[in-house]
Amino acid sequence: MTLKAIFEPESIAVIGASSSPGKWGHVILKNLLSNGYKGEVFPVNPKDQTILDRKCYNSVFDIPVHVDLAVIAVPRSYALNVAEECGKKGVKGIIMVTAGFSELGGEGREIEKELLEIIERYHMRLVGPNSLGVVNAHTGMNASIISRLPEAGGISFITQSGTLGLALADWTMEMGLGLNLVISTGNKANIDDVDLLEYLAQDPNTDVIAMYVEGINRGRDFITAAQRISKPILALKTGRTKSGAKAVFSHTGSLAGSDEVYSAAFKQAGVIRVDNIEDLFDSALALSVQPAPRGNRVGIISNGGGASIIASDACERLGLTIPELMPATQQKIKKLIPEFASAHNPIDTAGLAKFETYNGIVRHMLLDPNIDALVVIYVHTIMGDPAQPAQAVVDIRRGDCSKPIITCWMGGSGTEPGVKILKMGGLPNYPVPGRAVEALASLVQHHGFLEKVKI
Amino acid sequence: MNGKHDVWELLKECQIPVLPIVKASSMEEVIEVSNSLGYPVVMKISSPDISHKSDVGGIILDINSEEEVNNAYRDMMDAVSQKVVDARIDGVMLQKMAEPGIEVIIGVKLDPQFGHVIMFGLGGIFVEIYKDVSFRVTPVNSEMARDMILEIKGSPILMGARGRSAADINAIINVIVKLSEMLEDNPDIVELDINPLIVYEKNAVAVDARMLKNDKKLT
Repeated sequence: MTLKAIFEPESIAVIGASSSPGKWGHVILKNLLSNGYKGEVFPVNPKDQTILDRKCYNSVFDIPVHVDLAVIAVPRSYALNVAEECGKKGVKGIIMVTAGFSELGGEGREIEKELLEIIERYHMRLVGPNSLGVVNAHTGMNASIISRLPEAGGISFITQSGTLGLALADWTMEMGLGLNLVISTGNKANIDDVDLLEYLAQDPNTDVIAMYVEGINRGRDFITAAQRISKPILALKTGRTKSGAKAVFSHTGSLAGSDEVYSAAFKQAGVIRVDNIEDLFDSALALSVQPAPRGNRVGIISNGGGASIIASDACERLGLTIPELMPATQQKIKKLIPEFASAHNPIDTAGLAKFETYNGIVRHMLLDPNIDALVVIYVHTIMGDPAQPAQAVVDIRRGDCSKPIITCWMGGSGTEPGVKILKMGGLPNYPVPGRAVEALASLVQHHGFLEKVKI
Repeated sequence: MNGKHDVWELLKECQIPVLPIVKASSMEEVIEVSNSLGYPVVMKISSPDISHKSDVGGIILDINSEEEVNNAYRDMMDAVSQKVVDARIDGVMLQKMAEPGIEVIIGVKLDPQFGHVIMFGLGGIFVEIYKDVSFRVTPVNSEMARDMILEIKGSPILMGARGRSAADINAIINVIVKLSEMLEDNPDIVELDINPLIVYEKNAVAVDARMLKNDKKLT
């Protein structure tokens, strides 16, 4: 009954594999064969002898060895028969890409029930139907229609929307975000959010769970499951706007819209709710590479005043504070900056962005007991070297200091040499202060959940 | 099935303090009840056909004497029967006027995904205009209830802002927790408002409430 057969299978049958490049059965097979997946892959389609130079099987019964996972992309009219055959063959898990089930309502709903009966009868587990597949970036398994494999990393992404999920996965690749599993849940007929949370909690390759959610079916189980997971969970839940007002009996009835209830439930579950796609992955990135701070007191360092003010304002708005530094810290910082610059938090180096300047200030601020987390900003100028301050931050040996550092190298492509160094050094970097502070706020929120909500 | 009687009995059963409401259906009864409650009293029409009582002259506040009770009862019967011609009228509900305090609202809604949810907010414009409320999925324990109360923007009002004395937060917590416990045994409650619960320096009392149950489960 383990989900491992689906996410770490040793052998995969692609049922409905196709030789015509436009079909999903072709795309998925090709993706499975071309991304370094080490397990065995068997195309199944009675119409073909070979597909992509692989022997093609008439049915799953003809495959000579055991099959862990079947990816099914056949027309709906064949879907139940094929699932039944998988059950008889002893297949453990199914990813049903085929659509046309409960998402259509009516007859589709009935057929989904029949599908579920088959799945349960043979003790299989099912992703979908109406799923766009599953990716495991660590094993190179791309059982999906995502065009390329994401970089391997610690973020697992559960997405209810198929196409948006794919677009997002693509986008994470642009960002260079390291992913572990990408799971397009489809209709969640069998495996749902609660099952996935429980699996990902135990999965050693998952550090952060990011979710795109349209609706959750087992609400209370979701809260209980999430409370038990200390890994950060982020959720982008759509549908914040109110639906049309209906006749209402009580004040509570009119005010407790589904969105308000989701917000409360996420808070109780210790799930960080984000408002948009950018926040989802910005926060996931920070949570995957930096520790959660012990409090909300932020130190800001910048070589330009404007950027640090924007960062301070964002902190204020998100409930983070910018405390005064200890006098001893200020003394040490004064020696590193021009005389006319001020050593008050937020620190403005008045243009200086040399290695020694940034290295020294960051070190002193990390040691300051008034500070829980740092936002380090570099604003690029034509004369500047973005690599120096980047190296300066990366080189700091933090030892067991659990204060997170978030960076913001501003100035577009000119900052690239610095951005590369930051990424290699495991520092989450953002192109504007607002995004850096949003990500930091998620770290702070996660710490709050660890203290208060998590069991 | 949402008679005032049901919700009031239910709140009493789960030990939520309520300001007594007594039904009366004749002039003699109305006077007798009012005298025993003590003045001033509030009179409300009791009719299964009228949901917005104040719109039809079905609520009269601040009735101070036997003579005023007499007039109020007559006026209310006339007004209501003129405005809602075929309304079935069971009589009136009488309640002693509550001492002024801070009015809060505590409500319940059955959410299709998460089950019962409890809402807390300050009464009047705070809930109606500002929608300054907080929610928790049940079960809600006392720590969660305290967080709910502190979470609303208007919470300083309960802490004694502007020279007023602080309200009895523990009394509010008690109502929220009792309500949450009661909901475990009453899965058929769809909506419930305690509005207002009046909170004093010491204690709090429910003055009005309404409840909607799922009829399907009642049959």
